[in-house]
Amino acid sequence: MRAFLLRRVLAAAPLLLGSLTLLFLLLQLVPGRPFTAEAGAGVSPVAAERLRRISGADQPIAARYLAWVGGMLGGDLGYSWSERRPVADAVQEAASRTLLLTGTAIALQFAIGLGLGLLAAAAGPRLDRLLTAVAGILYSVPSFWLGLLLVGFFSVRLGWLPVSQIHSSDAGAWGTWPRLLDAARHLVLPCLALALPGAGGIALFVRDEVRAALAEGLALSARSRGLGRTRMVLRHGAGRALLAVSVLFGLAIPGLLGGSVVIETLFAWPGMGRLAYQGTLARDEPLVLGCAGVAALLVIAGSLAADVLSAAVDPRVRESLR
Amino acid sequence: MTGAGNAIPPRPRRAGPRILLVLALLALTAPWIAPRPPDLQEDVAGARLLPPGTRAHALRTASGLRIVTDLARTADGWSGRRMRTIEAFRDQDLLAPPEPRLYLLGTDALGRDLTSRLLFGLRHSAGIALCAVALALLLAITVGSVAALGGAAWDALLMRGVDVLMSIPRLVLFLVCATLFAPTALLLVLVLGATTWTGLARIVRAGLQTLAGGSLRAAAQAAGAAPLRVLARHLLPQLVPALAVGAALRFADTVLLESAVSLLGLGAPPPAVSLGGIMASGRESLAGGWWLTALPGLLLAVLVLALRATATSLDRTLDPPSLA
Repeated sequence: MRAFLLRRVLAAAPLLLGSLTLLFLLLQLVPGRPFTAEAGAGVSPVAAERLRRISGADQPIAARYLAWVGGMLGGDLGYSWSERRPVADAVQEAASRTLLLTGTAIALQFAIGLGLGLLAAAAGPRLDRLLTAVAGILYSVPSFWLGLLLVGFFSVRLGWLPVSQIHSSDAGAWGTWPRLLDAARHLVLPCLALALPGAGGIALFVRDEVRAALAEGLALSARSRGLGRTRMVLRHGAGRALLAVSVLFGLAIPGLLGGSVVIETLFAWPGMGRLAYQGTLARDEPLVLGCAGVAALLVIAGSLAADVLSAAVDPRVRESLR
Repeated sequence: MTGAGNAIPPRPRRAGPRILLVLALLALTAPWIAPRPPDLQEDVAGARLLPPGTRAHALRTASGLRIVTDLARTADGWSGRRMRTIEAFRDQDLLAPPEPRLYLLGTDALGRDLTSRLLFGLRHSAGIALCAVALALLLAITVGSVAALGGAAWDALLMRGVDVLMSIPRLVLFLVCATLFAPTALLLVLVLGATTWTGLARIVRAGLQTLAGGSLRAAAQAAGAAPLRVLARHLLPQLVPALAVGAALRFADTVLLESAVSLLGLGAPPPAVSLGGIMASGRESLAGGWWLTALPGLLLAVLVLALRATATSLDRTLDPPSLA
C-alpha cells in the first residue's frame, strides 16, 4: 500500500507542473508586450521600459517561466490589482468557502446518488423505471438552471431560504447556534443545485453496476438458494457500488469545481469560482491564473484521493500497479 | 438452449433520436419559422414580460406602434390594457385595423418574443457546440492516432498532455482564456473544442491499440496499403460506433458548458442569442417572469436528455450486447 501511495504521489507531481506550464504557455499566447505604450496612453516609453524591468517582463522566456512556476509552487501567486492584495491571500480566503460548498455538495451528491442507485437496483421493474427516469432527468438538468428555479421557488415565491450570500449581514452579532443555522440555511440552495445533477449520474451508474453484479453467477446462486432481494443487493451489490463510487469520486471533482464558478456567481457565494469570475470581468490575469492553478491542485489532489480510495476498497487496483 | 443469456436484447428506444431530430429541424429552420425577429422590440412598455400564451394586439397609431392586451371595442374606437392601465384608442387615430399577436411563450423584459429568441438561442447554442465537437473530433483522431501508432515516446508525451488538460476544470480554463483574450464566438468554439477532445482521444487510442495487433491491419499491410491508408480506410472506420457515442455525450456536455458561459455573460456578444443568455436575462426578473428562466433551461434539459438517450440507443444499435 505504501509503495502504491508513493507511486501515485510521484505521478501526480508532473501533472501539477504540466498544468502550470499550460497556464504559462497560454499567457505567452497573448498578443502584444506588457506595458506597451500606445499612442495617447499616459505611459512614456521610459516609464514603460522601467516597468518592464521591475516586473521582469524584459527577461528571456526561460527565466520568466522558471520565475513564474517557482513562484506558483512556492505559494507566491502574484499581485491582484483588482483585489489590491496578493493573489495568495484572496485565493486562500475564498478556497475555504469553496471547499465548504463543494465538500458538502460532494457528500450530498454521493449520498443521494448511492441511495437512489441502490434503491433502483433493488426495486421491481416499475419502481426501477420511475427511479431511473428521475435520475436521468436530474442528470440532464443544468445545475445553474436548477439553482435559478430553486431560488425562484424557495426564496422569491415562498421566502423560506435566503437568495444569496454566505451569511446574513447582521449575523456577526448573533450567538453560535443561530449563526450556524444561518450559515446552513445559506448553504442549502447552492449545495442542492450543485449536487443534484451529479447525483442523478451517480445513481444511474450505481444502478447499472449493481444490476450487473447481481446477474453474475455468485449472486444468482445465492438467489437460487433463497436469498431475498434486499439482502442480495446489500450483500452482493453494495460492494460493487462502493467500487463504482470510488472511481467516480475523482471524476466528480473537476465538474464540481467548474460548476461552482456558475453557482457561486449566481448565489453571490464569495468562493474561488466567483473570485475567478470577477477576475475575468476585471481582466485581472494574476488573479485568474492563480485561481486556475489552485483549481488544478485541488483536482489533482482529489483524483489522488480517489485512487487511494479505490486501492483501499479494491485489491485488484493495488495489484495492478505493483 | 433456453436461458437469460439467450434472450433477444431489448429493442433500442427511439424517443431520444426522434426528439433530437425535431430539435435539429427547429434549429435549422429558425429564421423561417420564428414568428418575429429575435431582437425586435416593438413597444417595450406594452409588450414587456407578457406571460406565455398571451393574445395581444398591435395598434398602429400616428405616435408609433402600441401593443395592448384585452382588446375591446368601444363606442368610438378600441380599448386595451397596456402597462396595467386601460388605454383608449379612437378610430381616427389608428392607421390600420388592430393586428392580432400571439406570444406563444411570452415576452422578455424588453418586449421581445420569447418563442423567436428560444428558436434562435437553440440554433446558436447547438451550432457553437456542434463546431466545438467537430474540432474536438479532429483533434482527438489526430492525437489518438499518433499516440497509438507513433511509438512509445509520442504515446507517453501526448497522453500525459491529455492528463494535464483534464486536471484543469473546463470552465476555469475558459475563464483563463476569456481573461487573456477578448471573448468572441470563435474563442468559444476554440476553447470548448480544445477542452473536449481529451476523452475522445482516449477512445481513439484505446481502439487503435486493440486493432493494431489484429488481423485487420496485418491483412491491409500485406495487401500493400500505405500506413496512412491503413489507418484511414481500415482502422478508423472500425471506431465510428464508439466515436459517435462519445461525440454525442461530449455534445451534451459542451452545450451545457456553452450555456453556463453565456449565462455568465462571457459567451458570444449580442446580437447573438444563446440559451444561457436568455436565462441570464430572466435572472433579473425571477419574480415577474418565471418563463424567462424556466423555458430556456427546459429546452436545454430536453436537448441534453435527447442527446444522451441517442448515445445510449446508438450504443445498443451499433454495438449490441453480446448474445453469447
